[in-house]
Amino acid sequence: MNLKELYQEIILEHGKNPRNLRKTEGFNKDAKGNNPLCGDNVHVYLKLNGQKIVEDASFEGSGCAISMASASIMTDLIKGKNEHEAKEIVEDFLGMIKENPELKSEYLSKDEKTKLMCLSGVKQYPMRVKCATLSWHTMVSAFDEKKEEVKTEN
Amino acid sequence: MNIDQIKKEFPIFDEKIQNNDLVYLDSANSSQKPKIVVDRINEFYTKQFSNVGRSVHYLAVAATNLYENTRSSVQKYINAKDKNEIVFTKGATEALNLVANTLGQSYLQEGDEVLITELEHHSNYVPWHFLRKSKNIKINFAEINEEGEITLEEIEKKITPKTKLISITHLSNVTGAILPVKEITQLAHSKGIIVVVDGCQGAPHLKLDMQDLECDFYAISCHKMYGPTGLGVLYGKKKWLEELPPYQGGGGMINEVKKDKISYGELPNKYEAGTMATAQVIAFDQSIKFLESIGIENVMKHEADLVEYGQELLQKNNSVKLIGNPKNKGGVLSFTIEGVHPHDIATILDEDGVAIRAGHHCCQILHDKLNIPASARASVGIYNTKEDLDQLNQSINNCKKIFNL
Ligand SMILES: Cc1ncc(COP(=O)(O)O)c(C=O)c1O
Repeated sequence: MNLKELYQEIILEHGKNPRNLRKTEGFNKDAKGNNPLCGDNVHVYLKLNGQKIVEDASFEGSGCAISMASASIMTDLIKGKNEHEAKEIVEDFLGMIKENPELKSEYLSKDEKTKLMCLSGVKQYPMRVKCATLSWHTMVSAFDEKKEEVKTEN
Repeated sequence: MNIDQIKKEFPIFDEKIQNNDLVYLDSANSSQKPKIVVDRINEFYTKQFSNVGRSVHYLAVAATNLYENTRSSVQKYINAKDKNEIVFTKGATEALNLVANTLGQSYLQEGDEVLITELEHHSNYVPWHFLRKSKNIKINFAEINEEGEITLEEIEKKITPKTKLISITHLSNVTGAILPVKEITQLAHSKGIIVVVDGCQGAPHLKLDMQDLECDFYAISCHKMYGPTGLGVLYGKKKWLEELPPYQGGGGMINEVKKDKISYGELPNKYEAGTMATAQVIAFDQSIKFLESIGIENVMKHEADLVEYGQELLQKNNSVKLIGNPKNKGGVLSFTIEGVHPHDIATILDEDGVAIRAGHHCCQILHDKLNIPASARASVGIYNTKEDLDQLNQSINNCKKIFNL
């Protein structure tokens, strides 16, 4: 166990000053997620343009440093990607949080991979994995226009 | 009273938890178990096991006697008038569901009002909500004051001519407020209102005297009382338990079963359908013996000292904000740290072997009222020391350091 690995500077910084913590004006996709055990909640907004590319992504909600940082980083790097690319990135991210040692997606730049890998510290904290994944599941739900709230299962 | 000696009776404190000594501050969630309780479960299963109340063979009779012994011990411990006022359940949750369900079947009518408080655990709200759905009863909430207390005056204010029942916690599992249950009961009874008490946090930490409190029902959670999981106690006044219908149907709770009619058994069997948590009941006798050996007055004194000490420590710690400041307070210290989410606090404290709880502690109504999504909670038991609270404070400081506060 290593707290320093979990709470890296980037996480603390994003947790404290989350990017895109707002509601996208003119969003056309959104979904809510919550973590019933902790009471954490997130609302993800996406604005896709005519070419189905994410023009803007944002979120509202409250949660721990891990969940805020995760949503912050996610909404930042998803901009400019299309739905197919975004979903592949989600798969890649969830795979990494679960078991894979690294990220593989060709849609992620080296810089983006480095940022996301900062969240890999949660692997050692099974109870905290859902904090890191809630916003990602919620984004998929937004793409799929699911009506029900996302509830985290690990 | 020698706390080090008492602590030695709990085998878990001999363990290293992730290479740390355990600083267990989660007793409001569930208490640790003394060796005599653990051993009793083992002994019963290895040397004495049989189901109770069914067969006439030697083991069955002996097990039944042991089982009934615990009932008598509980009766004495809580000073109930009659042994048959003690019903075993799977937990306080089931005890409260039993009360709500049976009162809903035969007593509460559409339009009746049930008064609970903003401090209630979900298990003392959801069962009443079921009746709101099925019977159209109304639920009112007594509100907390600035200190996180529920006063007698507030209860009085919320009583209406339609109030039929008041269901309240004895001791809040978040703010630690101890409610004036006796006074509330007197007031309620003067208006013909039934009183149900969620005694989960009261039973392990306060002196219990049902004949003095005079409430109609009192729910106890044995696993918070140095006893086994899977067990609770419902105290109910005899007249209610006799009058109300059964809760679950099955073996053991019947008198006679025919194709066209069924009659139910007498108390306490009427409410103990099916095979009960036999080993747990028998072991719970040892939990009571353990508490009696210390003396509840000593328990209360020790825990009051701890809370006062912990409260002072945390009040002095910048950026720590305690939740509630009740005059009459039990061993619960709930808090937030400006800039650090409770889950992050719990993870960081855990690294030092300090076990606390983070979340809404099954009290979402209260957290909504306080306008916070979650809180961190340190709660004490008989085995805790001032050093434990010093460690808590030190780990909180480490937490602040990690978050650059
Ligand atoms: C105040 C309160 N009420 C009810 C319960 C539920 O008790 P049990 O676990 O025995 O069902 C708890 C324990 O979590 C509690 O703290």
